[in-house]
Amino acid sequence: MNAAVRSRLHWILLAGLLAYGAVISAARIDYNSVFVDEAYHIVMGRQVAAGEYCPGCAAHAGSVMTWPLLAAYADAAGGLYGARALNVAFGLLLTLCIYLAARILFGREFGLLAAAIFLFSGQALYLMKLATYDMTAALFLGAALLCFVAAGRMDSTVYEGAALATGTVLLSLAAITKYILPVYIPVCVVYVILRHGIARCLLFVLAPLSAFMLLFFMFSPYPPNPQVLSTIEEVREVSRLPLRTLMNWTFRWLALAYLLAAFGLFHERFRRQAAGLIVLSMPVIMIHLVTRAEHSVNKNVVFALIFLAPAAALGVDHIVHLFTMREPGAALRRFFTVSILAVVCVYGVHNLRWLERQHPDVAPLIEFFERNGFDGMTVATNGWDGVLYEYALEARFPRARFDHISWFISGEEPNRRLDEGVAFVLCQDDYYGKHYPSALFADVLDSDCTLREDFTIIHSWGETHALIYGRKQR
Amino acid sequence: MDFKRLKGERLRRVIAVVSIAVTTYYLYWRVTQTFNPNALFFSWALWCAELFGFFTTLLFYFTVWNPTTRTAPAAPEGLTVDVFIPTKNEPPEVLRKTLLACNDLVYPHRTVVLDDGGRAEIEALCAELGCAYLARPSHEHAKAGNLNYGLEHSEAEFVAVFDADHAPLPHFLDRLLGYFGDDKVGFAQAPQEFYNIDSFQHRVDPRRKYVWSEQGLFYYVIQPGRDHWNAAYFVGTCAVLRRAALDDIGGFATGSITEDMLTSIRLQAEGWGSVYHNEPLAFGIAAETIVPFHIQRRRWGLGGWQVFFKANPLFLGGLSLPQRLCYLASLIYPFEGFQKLVFYATPPIALFTGILPMHAMDIYYLLHFVPYYAISIFAFNEMGRGYGGNLLLEQFSMGKFFTYMSSMLAFLLPKRSRAFAVTPKGGDSLASYRYLAPQIAVCAASLAAIAWALAGLLLGRRSDEFIIAVNSLWALYNTGLGIAIVQYARRKFVQRRAEFRIRDNVPLFYRYTNGNGREKRLAVAGDLTPGGLSIVTVGEAPPARTIELELILPRGRVETVGYLAYSRTVGVNGQAASLLGVKLNGMSPARRDRLSRYLTGLAVPKYLDEFSTRYETYLERRLAERRPLAERARRTLALLPVVIVKYDNRPVYGAMQDVSETGCLVETQCAVPAGTRVTLQTVIGADIVETGGVVARMLPLESRHFPEALVGIRFDEAGSEAARRIVSVAENIRGLVES
Repeated sequence: MNAAVRSRLHWILLAGLLAYGAVISAARIDYNSVFVDEAYHIVMGRQVAAGEYCPGCAAHAGSVMTWPLLAAYADAAGGLYGARALNVAFGLLLTLCIYLAARILFGREFGLLAAAIFLFSGQALYLMKLATYDMTAALFLGAALLCFVAAGRMDSTVYEGAALATGTVLLSLAAITKYILPVYIPVCVVYVILRHGIARCLLFVLAPLSAFMLLFFMFSPYPPNPQVLSTIEEVREVSRLPLRTLMNWTFRWLALAYLLAAFGLFHERFRRQAAGLIVLSMPVIMIHLVTRAEHSVNKNVVFALIFLAPAAALGVDHIVHLFTMREPGAALRRFFTVSILAVVCVYGVHNLRWLERQHPDVAPLIEFFERNGFDGMTVATNGWDGVLYEYALEARFPRARFDHISWFISGEEPNRRLDEGVAFVLCQDDYYGKHYPSALFADVLDSDCTLREDFTIIHSWGETHALIYGRKQR
Repeated sequence: MDFKRLKGERLRRVIAVVSIAVTTYYLYWRVTQTFNPNALFFSWALWCAELFGFFTTLLFYFTVWNPTTRTAPAAPEGLTVDVFIPTKNEPPEVLRKTLLACNDLVYPHRTVVLDDGGRAEIEALCAELGCAYLARPSHEHAKAGNLNYGLEHSEAEFVAVFDADHAPLPHFLDRLLGYFGDDKVGFAQAPQEFYNIDSFQHRVDPRRKYVWSEQGLFYYVIQPGRDHWNAAYFVGTCAVLRRAALDDIGGFATGSITEDMLTSIRLQAEGWGSVYHNEPLAFGIAAETIVPFHIQRRRWGLGGWQVFFKANPLFLGGLSLPQRLCYLASLIYPFEGFQKLVFYATPPIALFTGILPMHAMDIYYLLHFVPYYAISIFAFNEMGRGYGGNLLLEQFSMGKFFTYMSSMLAFLLPKRSRAFAVTPKGGDSLASYRYLAPQIAVCAASLAAIAWALAGLLLGRRSDEFIIAVNSLWALYNTGLGIAIVQYARRKFVQRRAEFRIRDNVPLFYRYTNGNGREKRLAVAGDLTPGGLSIVTVGEAPPARTIELELILPRGRVETVGYLAYSRTVGVNGQAASLLGVKLNGMSPARRDRLSRYLTGLAVPKYLDEFSTRYETYLERRLAERRPLAERARRTLALLPVVIVKYDNRPVYGAMQDVSETGCLVETQCAVPAGTRVTLQTVIGADIVETGGVVARMLPLESRHFPEALVGIRFDEAGSEAARRIVSVAENIRGLVES
């Protein structure tokens, strides 16, 4: 095969890979009803865009000036699926960033392998069609990685500085899009110091970073505040798990990537780079392991995957090197490369299928309200997911209100009463209501409500029930 | 190999101890924490396979803890030596080479052929070459019985034993007999080395000039390691044994088809010492294809079982504990077949059924497995002192696993199936895929299992994705091992040359007739066998098919006629260089024998010396003191004929090996001391390019009958026109040879 044919084949494979990502995401973009965070982000974005008071913004675990705004505009253009499609595009761009970073670091074939490993992972495919801030933050992080890597290949100091400064801005954007991502700032700073020296790090990284953060805290309408920190702390407290369980849960998503990356440590040419990338993948994992917080771990692992994918590409290359017994034959190399990628791909599809069903599909509940509800109705819920229903029903019942049940209860036990204005009570004990199980309100429900319908919701991890109560006729 | 000069010996022992500790913990953790209660048999099977691996590793580390490096004492004069060559059905041409080499042994001796085939042509061959011939009337106890028959007809104090294909170097006896100055030494063994490095059991990296042999670890590390414990063993060839010691144990041991090991055990149990001289002193023919490889290994496996169950050194009186452990290590290796079967079968079983030999395969499992595996491989590599090559050893384990299992079956079957099977040599190798069936089966089962499991995962019938991923990688690894063996075996089935060609650059004249009459050229051989050679020459290939040749060997020339079977010419900048493939025919037996003696006596060791048989281990690389290399001009492979004219005006023919604009390296047929002023006449086609120079260094090659030396010459005028012309022609030749 001559160089021109090889080059053409390379671009065809890259295009095919991106097409795979686009198709597999777009084909089932309606895989689930709107997820509560999707609804939150869109609604917050709308409020910010309209200059309205945004009650959720202050407690949000990321700046509302990035993804929520974008989500609101995408929602305005194409509804929920429009917002999800935007993340599909971001996911494909992130794949390109990973491809370019690996290509610059190790070569063209490695770029393709890294892109495939990333795009074949269940997390990437899942987050691409989830209209939350995760994929946007990941894109910023991946683009920052690309800039830092590219800076190392620049001949001119000006370009090198520009790449570093751009990388810093992108890293800052990642950090404000999702507040867990500042954990990557120290490791990136260390990387730049080691690769480019302290002076350039001060000039092109720490100075722009400080300026960006200063501007953010000065001018952003909802910068991180004690309320966010307490929310994060609260979430951490309620999602604490034993270390062993948490490790199993965390590495369930990354085990294959880490296994492949571990082989990269024995790569003949790039073992040091593999070690560096593995180290860069660790901060977000360590945060979870140190705090023992399980919350969002299956989404946050995508940030680790950005660094792991190029290391895993080295691992695949080394594994193929071993499996072909160091024979130079191209056919055998292709056979083993394709075989390993097939395993990675099926593994990813399986994980994707699981992730798609991890959140409840509340479409039947929404339909219930469409059938039985009315505009202006008030629904009490035992979780903080009311925004989900308000968003889903806004076209039909723009004045419907879904709020936490505790807001509608008056009196003291055992004589508590549910406000008269509440038309329905929605209880989802095992999911959105898990912090406020309906048993806490049993007295109110028994005296004032009657069960209208019991919905069985099938998740990848089991079954849950959603109960809708109506007012008891007196 | 001088182990005393190896870097990091202490550190590698520390690593071995750490590896043992980690593995002990891992195996303890596996047995206490990981067994699958629903698949206990499966769990135990895998664990036992891992335990077996650990046990053999322990014995390996013990054996190679402190390998010896010996310097041969001078051989005393006046000893009587009989050289035994047992044979049964080896072709006469193979035996002829060996007998010629035996006749060339410098130390006085008698060569005795012990022909168990009772063949008249072998008797005639012996008569022709002046060797004694013995054929026994009955054929009990195979090779051991044959050797004992030889002992009955021998009065010598020492016997040397060579397989029919093993040609010794002239100084073989001189090297080994000196060790018998110690009266306790029962036998002295040298490595069993092979010259056909394109065999099934070799892997060659021509670029790095590295050759890996499947038996390299045994001969260059394990045997020296055993020597430290006085447990080196006789391998049936390339050894000298004391007659008195053999008489002490009633001759060569019978009762096993690996008579060599049993003989060693009995000798050492009687208190006789052993010596291992770690220097190749004889070269034979390695198993060319998987067929002789299989036959040989099956015989060794069966012999191992026989000794294990009939004369187990663990229970035999007279042996020291280290000797028992060393022999145990050598006897249990056929069990490896069953161990490997477990390793090859585990992934397909897990993938097809979803049943695992452990209750969970999760991050905790990997956190235990990966460090254990990594340090095990690292320590093994270090203790292998650069002869290990894990991946290649794994390949050969794949190639042998069924062979060892079938040897166990043969042991259990009636006696007639346990007959001594001679390893086919030379033209006897058969091409057959039958012997590859186990490897193909492993590959097919592994790939089918991967496809089955992935389909199950895709269709949502299975949810053990990580188990499937890990086992798929494992199954792919096994597939890779299987494919490598099948591929290499297949390549050997279709090899074109009847004999392995030895790269050797003797100068030669070739004459042919063309339109201008008779032409005569001086050129250099590229490689050589008694049946043919390649010629590298400057200029166009001759138009004639028949050419007359005159090979200029040290101390004499060999004239013959050749048939030009192949030619290829390249040309750059008006210079042409040709590579000619010539079949030799019509050579008289005497000339053929002379060529054969030259090849076995000098060309083979010289050729093999060009290759490194070991690699630097990680520790050696890290600990090596890197001295900056002295700056030198870039050298180009030359292969040009030269005539060196010394101060006495006596011309010396030679072949230029490489050249730069400042000097060259020439292989000459006599010593030219350093400091000698010479005139170098380089023959480029019909031209002679003359350059003056000084011999900068000279390395004589060890050969009593065919003296040669490597001579480094520094040109008087660096970058002269003549030097530049030679380099320019050499570039063409390099392109021709390397393409």
